[in-house]
Amino acid sequence: MNPVEQARQDALSLFKELGLPNKCNEDWKYTDVSRLEGLLDIGGVGADVHSEGLGMVDLDAYRMVFANGVFDAAQSNLPDAVEIVSLAALEASVSGEESKALAKLFHVSGNEPLVNGLTALNAAIASDGAAVCLADNSVLDKPLYILHVSNQNNAIRHGLMLGENAQAQVIEHFISVGEENALSNCVTAVILKNGASLEHSRLQQEGKKQAHVARVEVKQFRDSSYTFHGIELGASLSRTDLVVSLSEPGASCELNGLFVLDGRQHVDHHTRIDHQAPHCVSRENYRTVLDGRSHGVFNGKVVVHKGAIKTDSSQSNGNLLLSNHAQIDTKPELEIYNDDVKCAHGATVGQLDDKQLFYLRSRGICEEAAQELLVFAFADEILAAMSNQVVRSYVEKAAFAKLPHASDLDGLMG
Amino acid sequence: MLVIKDLHVSVGGKEILKGLNLTINAGEVHAIMGPNGAGKSTLSNVIAGHDGYEVTSGSLTYKGEDLLAMKPEERAWAGVFLAFQYPVEIPGVNNTYLLKAGVNAKRKHQGLTELDAFDFMSVVKEKAKLVELDASFLSRSVNEGFSGGEKKRNEIFQMAVLEPDLALLDETDSGLDIDALRIVAGGINKLRSPDRAIVMITHYQRLLDYIEPDFVHVLAEGKIQKTGDKSLALKLEEHGYDWVKENL
Repeated sequence: MNPVEQARQDALSLFKELGLPNKCNEDWKYTDVSRLEGLLDIGGVGADVHSEGLGMVDLDAYRMVFANGVFDAAQSNLPDAVEIVSLAALEASVSGEESKALAKLFHVSGNEPLVNGLTALNAAIASDGAAVCLADNSVLDKPLYILHVSNQNNAIRHGLMLGENAQAQVIEHFISVGEENALSNCVTAVILKNGASLEHSRLQQEGKKQAHVARVEVKQFRDSSYTFHGIELGASLSRTDLVVSLSEPGASCELNGLFVLDGRQHVDHHTRIDHQAPHCVSRENYRTVLDGRSHGVFNGKVVVHKGAIKTDSSQSNGNLLLSNHAQIDTKPELEIYNDDVKCAHGATVGQLDDKQLFYLRSRGICEEAAQELLVFAFADEILAAMSNQVVRSYVEKAAFAKLPHASDLDGLMG
Repeated sequence: MLVIKDLHVSVGGKEILKGLNLTINAGEVHAIMGPNGAGKSTLSNVIAGHDGYEVTSGSLTYKGEDLLAMKPEERAWAGVFLAFQYPVEIPGVNNTYLLKAGVNAKRKHQGLTELDAFDFMSVVKEKAKLVELDASFLSRSVNEGFSGGEKKRNEIFQMAVLEPDLALLDETDSGLDIDALRIVAGGINKLRSPDRAIVMITHYQRLLDYIEPDFVHVLAEGKIQKTGDKSLALKLEEHGYDWVKENL
């Protein structure tokens, strides 16, 4: 058996051992995934789903489309000179040492933070993904836009490896066609070598009955920088585990998150940042806007390991509840095994500010529009961190469309 | 323009205004002075439509209409403007966007066509000069990170853009140093017009050195206790509010 097959077999065994996470596990206290029991099998891969004309059509980017977890070359557009290929194609073509290297992408250890049965299952069954390997000192001249279109269970696994001083912008976008009760199980593994820099967006906009589980694991080396934008608008159940390890001095990460939820949507982000080396910086800023009976969960854990002196870490989480039935569970967790560190965190939960509302109305903005404007402004402060204005504007419009009082706020986004 | 008759207002069950009468006509500038807790800010908030105040009796008639039946935004469309004592910061809401939305909501209500971005910007730039407000403030979030003086200048700038018929200036002079006071007062003076009434609420006489009022009222214990011309303000400055109380 070749090393990749072996790794996948091991992952399957691990899945069988771990099973689905349940509420006995503290990390899954607020998120019940028992309904996923019947959705784990990805079945006949590659069932037809059309992706033409979907997603961010105006974005000037390299494009990689996955239809139900299978690379759709006809809808994609990739650079010639850079190493961006379909993982399935790579898997079929490698042998020997290359195969050993690739096997690492499928290796799952139950001892890693936030690893669970679904992570292991993904490694075992993932049908495809983007395999990106940027050479040292290379700059991807356009963003890489990865569009996932689905109407059935799918499992996808991306590996993004940036060589020394390499730079890239990657946008993952998840949408579904129709309203199937299905599961997308997605893993993105990122490695940033010395001085590499990645801006990584994930926009989850799947259908109302869809379930979405994801793990993003980032390993950072010296002076590398990672920026994450996690936008949650879709699906009925969505869970993301985001694990960043700052393993060498000078590495920095910035994690931004925004949930805009309504109905009975449930979205949970568990993030963990490991400061393993001195002089690393982490910034985390999550906001949620919750309407209806929606439920948001944010758990942000920062671990400052022994020896990680001069750590600079801050975290903030703001939550806006638009309905009496919406719920947020927020929990910052700091574990510090060191002196000489700077760590700050804060969480707020609230409704719209009456003084701000009155101020806007006294200037002639009608009540519904004033409410919407304040909600939008609250959410948009997270999106302001996005460097790509086309992506930001797309997300703004999509988030805006979910706000309770659709009214005319044209020009706001100018 | 505005007729207030026997106005009684309570906040949290406590009566603040106890039968206030006041008539304001177009073209007039009124100064309402009084000690802390007299009900000055309550009066301006009630006129602007803040819902934290309970009007237990009396009437507010604006241009012949019952002001109390109107929402705050409807009052703004009808030409009422309040320059806040403590302008609130609104992160993420662009100053210019707010004004454009406000102006166009009013124009729409009046049956006028909405201003396009270009026309609007030329109006805005011209008005910003009135209070020597740097153009960089236009693209910032409403009042966010503004100093006390900048917030007050921004209020008068908004007044200039929104062109109200009835402007209430709630302690616009407080927290201003002498240079800022001169600039703000200069802006207000330029906004005086025969069609516009201005009501200045203030603790101090010094604002009136710059803006000469037609009427000065003393508000104490929930009522207008005295009305006179600008010499009343000087008398107050000299004798203090106790003088009014003693002469009740």
